[in-house]
Amino acid sequence: MLLQPVNLDDLVSQLRTANAQGNKVAGANLASMNRLIEHVPEDMTCTVESGMNLKQFQSQLATNGQCLPIDPPHAGRFTVGEFIGRNLSGPRRFGYGTIRDYLIGIKVVLADGRVINAGGKVVKNVAGYDLCKLFVGSDNSLGIVVEANFKLRPLPPATAFVGLMCENLDAIDRLIDSLMKSELTPTVMDLHNLNLQGSDFPYAFVIGFEGSTDEVDWQLAKARELGIHESTTSIPDTDFWDDPAPTKISILPSQLTEHLRSLGNAQFIARAGNGIIYHRGRTENPHSDLPVELFRRVKSVFDPNHTLPEL
Amino acid sequence: MTKSCVAAASPAFLEAVRQIVGKENVIHSAAELLVYECDAYTLEKSPPTLVVLPNTTAEVAAVVRLCAQYNLPIIPRGAGTSLSGALLPVDGGVMIALTRMNRIIHVDTRNRRALVEAGVVNAWITQAVKSHGLLFAPDPSSQSACTIGGNVATNSGGPHTLKYGVTTNHVLGFEMILPDGETVWLGTTPDGGEDVTGYDLRGSVIGSEGMFGVVTRVLVRLIRSPQSQKTMLGIFESVDDASQTVSDIIAAGIVPAALEMMDQLITRAVEEAYKFGFPLDAGAVLIVELDGLSAGLEKQSQQVIEICRRNKARDVRLAQSEKERTDLWKSRKRAFGAIGRISPNFLTQDGVVPRSRLPEIMRFINATSAKYGLRIPNVFHAGDGNIHPLVLYDERDADQVRRAIAAGHDILHKCIELGGSVSGEHGIGVEKISFMEAQFGRDSLDAMQSLRSAFDPDKRCNPHKMFPGSKRCSDFSPRRQAAV
Repeated sequence: MLLQPVNLDDLVSQLRTANAQGNKVAGANLASMNRLIEHVPEDMTCTVESGMNLKQFQSQLATNGQCLPIDPPHAGRFTVGEFIGRNLSGPRRFGYGTIRDYLIGIKVVLADGRVINAGGKVVKNVAGYDLCKLFVGSDNSLGIVVEANFKLRPLPPATAFVGLMCENLDAIDRLIDSLMKSELTPTVMDLHNLNLQGSDFPYAFVIGFEGSTDEVDWQLAKARELGIHESTTSIPDTDFWDDPAPTKISILPSQLTEHLRSLGNAQFIARAGNGIIYHRGRTENPHSDLPVELFRRVKSVFDPNHTLPEL
Repeated sequence: MTKSCVAAASPAFLEAVRQIVGKENVIHSAAELLVYECDAYTLEKSPPTLVVLPNTTAEVAAVVRLCAQYNLPIIPRGAGTSLSGALLPVDGGVMIALTRMNRIIHVDTRNRRALVEAGVVNAWITQAVKSHGLLFAPDPSSQSACTIGGNVATNSGGPHTLKYGVTTNHVLGFEMILPDGETVWLGTTPDGGEDVTGYDLRGSVIGSEGMFGVVTRVLVRLIRSPQSQKTMLGIFESVDDASQTVSDIIAAGIVPAALEMMDQLITRAVEEAYKFGFPLDAGAVLIVELDGLSAGLEKQSQQVIEICRRNKARDVRLAQSEKERTDLWKSRKRAFGAIGRISPNFLTQDGVVPRSRLPEIMRFINATSAKYGLRIPNVFHAGDGNIHPLVLYDERDADQVRRAIAAGHDILHKCIELGGSVSGEHGIGVEKISFMEAQFGRDSLDAMQSLRSAFDPDKRCNPHKMFPGSKRCSDFSPRRQAAV
């Protein structure tokens, strides 16, 4: 069942009851817990309730000139809780990293109704184990995250995107190689083939620069020297992301084009600098040996009755 | 001094360990074990039962399995620079020192990663990749001695974490031997993608102070060296003015690479020791380092200078050469070492407060110094709100020791009260166990213990650390008497 708590105490008691009675809980609708509790610009940190819409969260931060520099497509469709639970990310992960790099504290209701805190409100903190990391991407399977503290970044004074249409993957390989060796510091490095079928240039490469106007202008000039010069925008939020969601694979960045070749003509968006490919081709997840026994033990110490969903 | 309860290794155990790593890699004479009786936190001492110096992952795994068989505690160790007693063998135990495993196995410049053994010294990584324009960002002051394995255990920081983050932001994955002897890889594999399916156990192990297993190989992230740097020294009349400057710089949307403060007491000691040219009469100095593309730095440094002036800075000096910059950082990073000139002993605290509460905590430290009649110089990561008050005392005077400990406690409780933490980078170890409940509460500590039990159900790996009421002596080694 999906819990519909009216507040934290209600969530605690509903979860405790479900756990005691052996009912399965799929998650919780936290619409009643949707406030930005605190944003202290001088500290560059904030505390937000999980039920808050991600897009609204960002616009409130922006009123004080700051942001959480993580930009999953269609931010308006997710709550902060879903964003953490699914470890969502977007184009700017190349320059700024992912949720685990910004989440400094959490409040979680465990399966048996206990409310725990991990981390804190300060940007540097090694007291106790770092349980925050455990809950990023854990999708309600270990507990329900009800509150999160993030460290933030100033909104960049200037942002610009430039792109290049490419004929083949070899050219892209060379381009990325020269970018990685250059002095440029792009925050976005994306590649896609959406809406380009039948064109002479089946691939679109997009890089983004952020910083002061001076920094961005200098980088645009440098990018032009590498042949990247078409003014463009970040990849818009397309229906590519709609249900069913595209498959995601994560590979060594240097093997990007090799993997793209194996996808044939399937639609894809790649975070080229990170080696992340979202695609609608056949699934060929690279094999990896995961510590599944350890995962199983972690799940069973936090949720021994398996009240919460499996990951 | 705590008496070791795992008093001596049984002849059978000793023989078995020697079989695994070779006789020359086992230390068990009482005199040699004294080297390992404490880390850089020297208030408590207790020697390990045995020290093993393995050369390979397979040897580590075999030693850990053997310890499981004999039900002996294990204590993973790097260079022993921990400041919180994280390496104290409270009741003895088998110390596994990774210092012989110090090879840089592979550097992958295209994917900006390096695979290194756990005993590799932090600074060696940057030295090895510098020529490719890359660096390993975490730079604790002990970086010329501390190991990457130790950095993983304590989630080490350093002055440049303000902009670049701490160890957890720069370690992609690692190989670890679980306390039962099983070898696992957590996080990104050396030839794998950065996103990994399942729980982020890598993130939970980093900063667990060696309580989840023995890390043997680490895959680190490398970042591009900044194109340009501007390092400034702001000279202030008072700590208050310098603290306000820190808040104002952050509020202006500037994220310096580093933002460090030294007060008058520490500046004098450092100047006497290293002759950098610090003014002796300034209330406080701020080191502000900006880095990034040359194109933006000039304007940004002007902005910083203006903010300093607005807060009544007497002078703002810009490092004129790379040598001057390096000398400035050398003075800062060796500041703790200069304390020996002004006091026989010192107790370092490592609390954190929200940056905007810096002026408040600094005033509190000043009042605490007066209250206990002890000098407390400060040198710290102001931009992160991470204070390092150094409570000076003389261990020959029992009353001073008592007052020093009380002063440290007051300061840490104030940090908690201001919404902060009792440790920003040094860890809890044995030193700060008594603060954990005040900071987190019972249920949160239980949740941490639950996670620990998934890795180490017997609580045998680096025991008696971090948690109040950790089990002691008699719980371990029921087979000891039979074996001896």
